[in-house]
Amino acid sequence: MAAELSFNRVGVEISGKRLLQDVSLRVSEGEFVALLGPNGAGKTTLFRAALGLLRASGEVLLNGRPARQVGGRERAGILAWLPQQALVTEALSVLDLVAGARFRFSESRRNAESAARDALRQAGAEVFADRIVSTLSGGEQQRVAVAALLAQEAPLLLLDEPANHLDPAHQVSLYRLFGELWRAGRGVLCISHDVNLLSHVGDAAAVRVVGLAQGQVRFETSYTDADLPGKLGEIFGIHFESVQAGSRRVLLPGAGV
Amino acid sequence: MRPRVILILVACVAVAVSAPWIGGALEGESGEFILQSLRIPRVIMACLVGATLSLVGACYQTILANPLAAPSTVGTTAGATLGALVAVLAGSALGGMPGGMPIVAVFAFVAALGVSLFVAALAGSGRARVNDVLLAGVAISLAAGAVSAGLQFSADELQLYAAIQWSLGHLPQVGYRGVLMIAPFVAITGGVLLSQTRALQSLAAGEERAHSQGVNVARVRSLVLGVGALGVAACVAWCGPIAFVGLIVPHIVRLSVGSSRRILLPMSAVMGAAFLVACDTAARNVLPGRELPVGVLTAGIGAPLLVWLVARRK
Repeated sequence: MAAELSFNRVGVEISGKRLLQDVSLRVSEGEFVALLGPNGAGKTTLFRAALGLLRASGEVLLNGRPARQVGGRERAGILAWLPQQALVTEALSVLDLVAGARFRFSESRRNAESAARDALRQAGAEVFADRIVSTLSGGEQQRVAVAALLAQEAPLLLLDEPANHLDPAHQVSLYRLFGELWRAGRGVLCISHDVNLLSHVGDAAAVRVVGLAQGQVRFETSYTDADLPGKLGEIFGIHFESVQAGSRRVLLPGAGV
Repeated sequence: MRPRVILILVACVAVAVSAPWIGGALEGESGEFILQSLRIPRVIMACLVGATLSLVGACYQTILANPLAAPSTVGTTAGATLGALVAVLAGSALGGMPGGMPIVAVFAFVAALGVSLFVAALAGSGRARVNDVLLAGVAISLAAGAVSAGLQFSADELQLYAAIQWSLGHLPQVGYRGVLMIAPFVAITGGVLLSQTRALQSLAAGEERAHSQGVNVARVRSLVLGVGALGVAACVAWCGPIAFVGLIVPHIVRLSVGSSRRILLPMSAVMGAAFLVACDTAARNVLPGRELPVGVLTAGIGAPLLVWLVARRK
């Protein structure tokens, strides 16, 4: 059975403030779903609801079962999360941090470290293996965080603005890596503030784009939808201009509406 | 294993092994008695207590994500002090305890465990955030301290002196009774805490990351607090509250060999043992004809050592 995360009419309310309302969304292995929306739209809240980090009404299902009934190790075998927040400030080595992400496996330290080195290599961060995390730059730390995500070997990936802190070259290489993981069968739910980076995952027509605003899903469409700039313009409150650059369509945020 | 770790291990073993022979000359039958029945059991006791306090401190600093966390943070020490004070005040009325256990130790153990398990239960509720647990521990410590102050107010001079003497921490004893009393608790605490190394390693990267990686954070936090309290309560009940070991030694270890929990936790136990042995050896030799309370030296040596290590950190 393919791993699947689904939200059915999910709502989240904290201290009387409604952060999510009637959100329904599904992502399975082999799918790439981009979650776009302005600050405060509820994108990260949706991830936190999926991980059981906050209470939600409606149904959050993992492989068809209520997420609350899925144990921690089992959940970690389905979902891996790349949070927005910076990594630890404590003096942990990169290898220890990435190997620690393999908590769900019952394995020897040697195996964990070997898998961690593979993940670091995949994320282009193997040169940092013996460094202390807190001595790395923001971009280097983000690549280490991606390695920790990969080390967990979960079929579904929750990516919360993964290109944060990265220079353009690393942003592109990271989205290409996510594209490779997607084509290898992983399911990806990716929050991004730069819609153009999605063009680097490949097969743009197969990328689903979900627009979220004020805690509600406003649209769901293909990345190649000709009307995507208009739909984005509605949720961000700014005009998007579509420009063709070679084979790629680039969306430029323009003047305010 | 890294050379620095091996060097520290060798140094710690050397401290523990040589400690019984440091001090007044051991000659004749009395020398043999002093060595076998006083100094060796005292060093073993110091090893058990130092290892437990330091290991528990390292674990508490991880689960509470706070470098100032220590066994005293969750109310263990304050609870033990309250229990000991009640025992001192009620001692004459209660008489001896079953099995010849000292009344003070039994009361201190029960009170320390009771207070700490309350905090552990709160931490395991799932809804409590790490700061809630810290606040609850601090609040309970203050409440227990207030009750203790009230009880001291109604104590007579002899009772007050006994309570103060207990509260300074002490290791002197004759024979192995104390060692045998606390050894099972120390073994359980050490075994369970070290079995949680992988979860604690994951937790060191942050509570929410650990949760997403499969760690049941509430369960681990509650288990570590509860089992840690068991070992600390046994140590404090027998030896009184020995200040700063659980706070300072894990930081000294971290600055010496890094923060990997795989190294930090066992090395905290080893260095905690050696540190308390060294302090106790100094406590019984530094003044001619009398002993200093070991708690005075643990703070007096540990605090400057920590400041020096922090200052020389690159």
